Amino acid sequence: MSAVDGAAVARNLRSRRRAGASGIRNGRFALLYLSPALLIFLVFTIGPAFFVLYISLFDWNLLNASLSRFAGASNYRKIAHSSEFWHSIEMSAYFVGATVAGSTVFGLGIALLLSSRGLVRRAVRLAVLTPYFTPLVATSIVWVWIFNPQFGLLDSLLRLLHLPVVGWLQSTTWAMPALIVYTLWHDLGFTVIIFLAGLATVSNELREAARVDGASYWHEVRDVVLPQLTQTTLFVIVITTIDSLQAFTQIYTMTQGGPLGATTTTGYLLYQESFVFYRTGFGAAIAVVLFVVIALFTLLQLRLSRRPA
Amino acid sequence: MHRYRHLVLIGVVIAAAVLTLAAYGSTAKKHDAVTISFMEAMSSGTQKPSLDLLTKRFEAAHPGITVNLIAEPNYGVLQQKEQASIAAGAPPTIGQAYENWAAGYADAKAIVPLDSYVHGKTGITPAQQKGFWKGVWKDLYLPDGKIWMWPFNKSDYVMYYNADKLQKAGLAVPKTWVQFATVAKQLTKNGDWAWSTDTGTLSAPADGTIVYLSLVHALGGTWVVNGKPTLDTKAGIKALGYLADLKKSGALQIGTNYPGETALGAGRSAFDLSTVAGYPYELAADGGKFPMKVAPLPSGRNGQGNSLSGTNVVIFAKSSPAERAAAWQYMEFLTEPRQTAYWAEETGYLPVTQAALPVMKRYIATHPYQQIAAQSLQVARGNPPYAWWTVAEGQIAQALQSVLDNGGGPADALAKAQQAALAAANG
Repeated sequence: MSAVDGAAVARNLRSRRRAGASGIRNGRFALLYLSPALLIFLVFTIGPAFFVLYISLFDWNLLNASLSRFAGASNYRKIAHSSEFWHSIEMSAYFVGATVAGSTVFGLGIALLLSSRGLVRRAVRLAVLTPYFTPLVATSIVWVWIFNPQFGLLDSLLRLLHLPVVGWLQSTTWAMPALIVYTLWHDLGFTVIIFLAGLATVSNELREAARVDGASYWHEVRDVVLPQLTQTTLFVIVITTIDSLQAFTQIYTMTQGGPLGATTTTGYLLYQESFVFYRTGFGAAIAVVLFVVIALFTLLQLRLSRRPA
Repeated sequence: MHRYRHLVLIGVVIAAAVLTLAAYGSTAKKHDAVTISFMEAMSSGTQKPSLDLLTKRFEAAHPGITVNLIAEPNYGVLQQKEQASIAAGAPPTIGQAYENWAAGYADAKAIVPLDSYVHGKTGITPAQQKGFWKGVWKDLYLPDGKIWMWPFNKSDYVMYYNADKLQKAGLAVPKTWVQFATVAKQLTKNGDWAWSTDTGTLSAPADGTIVYLSLVHALGGTWVVNGKPTLDTKAGIKALGYLADLKKSGALQIGTNYPGETALGAGRSAFDLSTVAGYPYELAADGGKFPMKVAPLPSGRNGQGNSLSGTNVVIFAKSSPAERAAAWQYMEFLTEPRQTAYWAEETGYLPVTQAALPVMKRYIATHPYQQIAAQSLQVARGNPPYAWWTVAEGQIAQALQSVLDNGGGPADALAKAQQAALAAANG
């Protein structure tokens, strides 16, 4: 090694050492700056999550923890044998399946219709997006009145057409579809935004080339647009699945899980068991199971989003 | 010497401070200065200013006792806050509680029995005890035979009706459930009906469920016997069959969000069976369109059945003996005739003792419904004081939903409800 080379190596080493020291310093400072947020996150999110896991192993007395008894996995065994839990899984599957399918199909359809420019389309876009920004509780109450069998808009229309009226929120057959209609009305704006963003990235050259080759609009959408929207569609499906699994407000406001459990999803059952009947340990076990399901979907979303388009 | 002067000055200041504090301490001791806190949900309309005024009057009459009112927006929040404070080991001194809340609190050793106060030196006389409405007095006990609660904001159910509708149809106000069914069916014509109610759901039973429970009592049935639910009695099945028949005839309609009030106010139905505390809301829904009147709930072969609404007050176990004694004085003060009469006149709740009626003479002359509802407090029953009653009541609401809206049979629906309630009662 020449003297020049040696000096260069020494310089390099010094500079690396300096970078390392400053990196550590930066790391320490970064941690310091992050610590308030981290502390809040640990105390109010991570801590309670672990505490839920802990109390799911107990016959928990909410009012006097000293009277709680260790129950091991018995709350989880109860879940496995609980007809209410499995019914709630069925209802969740119904709700999630319908809202995810509806959000995806209608969201994509509306986004395609709105993707071109024009004043009317802008107005329609605003109309579709607005419900998403309205408070769930307030609009749920409005829809309770729309579904009211004696004074509601929907049944008034049916009467006008001399059709039999329906107790939308009182009937075991119609309560869930009514809830799904409301949820789609409220949430569709979100999926439309995502699809509009996805459509903005679709290659115009390919679409024009397809049109030049004589492809119909349907063929253009099916063979050119949809393949390029695969990532967006997967994202919409996963996100709306997670949202639907966590749905609570509209169920609480519109049906309170009824009639006869027809709208008792797993999320609502968790609330009912924990905060109405105060079977806290059992409710905590349901929360853990629901957490695992949602975590799996989140992992799936992460994995899919990392795949190249 | 100069230095010593400083030291003397400091010594004098310290001595003066100690003497002042000692003097303050002895004065405070003389007046037994105690601060108690009352967690309550009387925060809307006239409730808040009325409770504030009563509390000020109490403090003026009891120097040394300060009452801090902790107002919550509604009962749901109140229950959460009370439970959270108990779990955190920092409950208020006293709080409003329904019977089944009190049962849960007592199970968790979070409240104290009141017998030693009620029957103690500063307690009530036998004559005062006799003055309490029978239903109100019975409601203070838990199944162990001890008094755990003290009455506060009580109401019960009445029958609101559109006097014009009945007069036009030439019908008298029904006094029995049999008459009610006949009148209800006769009034069901031209797209109008007799009565709308909300059964509620498993997690939130509503008025329809409470009226059904009153009907069961009127027909001679029971809700609980020897600490166990009795939801599928003959009277229960008959009561549910009665409602199913009304529904089938179109006289009864089921809805949500106070449908009785809405339908009566809109002039579409003739009756609403609801709590007397809702009188101002019924009046607002009517809006002066027709003369809305009030009658007692109809009777059955067992007389009138009625359900107590509203809460009692409990003393939490974390409080000191001095705080408990002060709290008892405050609770007792609120139920004295003058105070309970003022509370009833201002808020629409009912006076908890008959001794308040003479004080309310002028008020009752212009608000006769108050006396009608107050008389029903003799027979009205509170929620059975068991923590599992929440499950049982939810199951009854579900049985009503099954029969009235989804074609179920009364016997099957109630048998299912009884099974679930029994499982909850057996833990």
